[in-house]
Amino acid sequence: MKSIHKFIIAISIGVGVSLTSCQRLDILPTNIFTPEIIYDSEAGVKSFLATIYHNLPIEDFKYRPDQGFKTGGNDWENFYNSASVTGEEVGPFGGMDIGGGFGYWPYGDIRNVNTLIAELPKHVAKLGQPTVNALLGEAHFLRAYYYFGMAKRYGGIPIITVPQDPGAPLSTLQVHRDKEQAVWDFIGTELDLGYQMMPETSDAGRANRYVAAALKSRAMLYAACVARYGSVNFVDGPARAQGLVGIPADKATAYFQAAYDAAKLLDGHYSLYNANSDKVQNYVDLFLKSTSPENIFIKQYSIATHTAHSWDATMSPRYFTANALSRSYPTLDFVRLWGELPVTNGDGTPKRFDNRAQLMQGLEPRLLATVYFPGATLRGLMFDMQRGIYPSFSGTAAAEVAKQANSRSYILAGDTKTLYQGKQVIGFTGPWTGGDELTRTGFYVRKYVDYNKPQSAVDLNRSEQPWIDLRYGEILLNRAEAAMELGNAGDALTSVNLIRSRAGAAPYTSIDLNKVRNERRMELAFENQYYWDLKRWRTADVVLDRAHFKGLMPYYVLNENKFIFLAETELFNREYSFQKQFYYEGIPGGEIGKNPNLLPNNPNY
Amino acid sequence: MKKLISRILVGVTILASSACTKTDNYDGPNASFQGNIISSEGGNLPTSGGSTTIKLQQIGWTTPQTIPSKFDGTFQDTKLFKSAYKVVPTGGAFWPVYDTVTVNIAQGTKHDFVVTPYIIIKNFTTSLTGTTLTLKFDITAPVVAGLPTIKDVQPYVNTTKLVGTGASIRDFSDLNAVTINKEFIDLTTAQKSITLTVPNLIPGRTFFVRAGVRLSDSFNSSNFSEIVQVDVPK
Repeated sequence: MKSIHKFIIAISIGVGVSLTSCQRLDILPTNIFTPEIIYDSEAGVKSFLATIYHNLPIEDFKYRPDQGFKTGGNDWENFYNSASVTGEEVGPFGGMDIGGGFGYWPYGDIRNVNTLIAELPKHVAKLGQPTVNALLGEAHFLRAYYYFGMAKRYGGIPIITVPQDPGAPLSTLQVHRDKEQAVWDFIGTELDLGYQMMPETSDAGRANRYVAAALKSRAMLYAACVARYGSVNFVDGPARAQGLVGIPADKATAYFQAAYDAAKLLDGHYSLYNANSDKVQNYVDLFLKSTSPENIFIKQYSIATHTAHSWDATMSPRYFTANALSRSYPTLDFVRLWGELPVTNGDGTPKRFDNRAQLMQGLEPRLLATVYFPGATLRGLMFDMQRGIYPSFSGTAAAEVAKQANSRSYILAGDTKTLYQGKQVIGFTGPWTGGDELTRTGFYVRKYVDYNKPQSAVDLNRSEQPWIDLRYGEILLNRAEAAMELGNAGDALTSVNLIRSRAGAAPYTSIDLNKVRNERRMELAFENQYYWDLKRWRTADVVLDRAHFKGLMPYYVLNENKFIFLAETELFNREYSFQKQFYYEGIPGGEIGKNPNLLPNNPNY
Repeated sequence: MKKLISRILVGVTILASSACTKTDNYDGPNASFQGNIISSEGGNLPTSGGSTTIKLQQIGWTTPQTIPSKFDGTFQDTKLFKSAYKVVPTGGAFWPVYDTVTVNIAQGTKHDFVVTPYIIIKNFTTSLTGTTLTLKFDITAPVVAGLPTIKDVQPYVNTTKLVGTGASIRDFSDLNAVTINKEFIDLTTAQKSITLTVPNLIPGRTFFVRAGVRLSDSFNSSNFSEIVQVDVPK
């Protein structure tokens, strides 16, 4: 019996072993995404694309020029923008604090795109050739976007188009920098591929062929200006001698032509937002209506996914919001782009106004839609800017402002509660020197502010209006500038007048380069363009040479029951100086440590 | 309990004695580098804050470091690692020096650089009338061809001997700047004799004053006069 038992046991073990063993362990890993999962379906590719789009160097509400692109859930300090060092605004920066950049080096993201470009052709069977082509076009556009983000900062950087193999010898991984010109040419070619391969339309937030053309007009304009103006105003050094920064001047025309041609491709496919006959309201809505035919490429935000921004809560003071504070204030210098404000009489005495809002009469609708003036209203409340009270006022504005502060006869206050003869001394909205959360210039930002939101909903990380990264207005201005540089003043005049007519401004009868540039400053204010414009025009070191900016201070004159406005230095009187070496940022030190072949660094770094 | 404590102590002692057995065999930053930045026209180059620096590139290392010059045109750094460095003066108002020199920096290494200033301020005089200070000087250029455009001239006034760019009272200094924006070669002899005025100085105070000529070179750098003391009577 025992032997039978043993026999049965032996057989069961034998059968059991032979049945269960020898299963080869080549099942697909269940805890990682294999190429098939990502690339065999459009949904899979889309999820991969989401990461690539998420990290695009879009200089949006949350972009902080000294720290980088912010994609977190609580990046609320939206007033740390480049406008507040260029004189469009004054803000939290103590000076030209952004010239050195933040060491942007997105080769990880570029690797993602390179992987996508390498993999897609292997999956034609599942995806179909047309889909693969469209996706490849999109990938080329995205790669160009990343390289543009680096080229405008560093000039020449290594062009890497295939995913590097981490096991390769160090000598092949430590790549050299390419020449600046080669990088811009690469960006142009990539965007041409994007234009050729992508369809005409796309979901909001994704690229189509015209997005590629629009970006090309922006990028080629930058390259053209580097060639034309960077060859006159530059810092010398080994990197320049080797062409790692700088482009020969004779290449400028070709780049301007490329910018012009790219902008022209959008003709008839996009148009300026003109839905409302009220020009002020129309210009305000342009930045808030998702249906605008002017939007070419937008970035979206949502409270649900913790990506919302805080523009509304940080551009207006606490008086209009449920939380937080503002710290970003348009300057009088900026407002004066539209001409002198009528605040002074012919004899130099300040003009008397019955109320603050009178100042806005007759001003260009676009200006009023870009900046909140004293007397404007938001959410049922008035911008009651008032710097102080004059018991009485005599003499000229210039003489009064030139006096030492302690010999002026005004009444000031340290807080909004202080009264003088029953009248509030300073407005709930400032100006005030006690802190940085009320205006220092007498103005507030209006562009992009969602006026429809009830005050209780205006909180941090609760703003969802999309950032319009590329809009037709900019494309017209790119086209006008390129046309002007190419000597085609007629075309430039037509484009600029389209912009001016929508803005509610009188059309020009003649045009010059200065008018084109100023139109750009007015139209694209606070959209993170002017800093790069100053850099590519190579005028930053002249415009921002120990620069101080002004505000417009409203005062109440008690014995006359009138308001006057005095042009005075902004209340912190900060100084902004752009050093010539900032036309290029230095290659990040950590990257040079990993790859000494990135040397020589840019001049003066 | 006692047993437990003594066991822990034994454990700690063993760990402590076994740790830190490697000694740091690198020398500390005990090398030093000092010297003068000498003007080719004689004397040290007068400099200022945020102006001339000595750039050092340690051979075998990637990130350069700098030694800022002192106002009298000397420089010194006593916390350097002993090594060979490529050194070059930069950032000031002198003709760019493209040839880097290799120096073996050890304890007490001295080296002088000779540079050619863009502009020399000569015959610098000051006179005080009431509370208004008048500065007079002539400018010359050792090399005229290719000289960067002269942007402006200005007085620098401060209450300490450290006076220059970034170390001056703005109302007395930057606000009294005179814009020139001309090439040196286009200046007449009369335009090369410059008078600057600083009105409304505070009575009873001592100020330190110098003049500067700013050029539009890579650094928007300035050539400076010597520093003089001005006592404003009560």
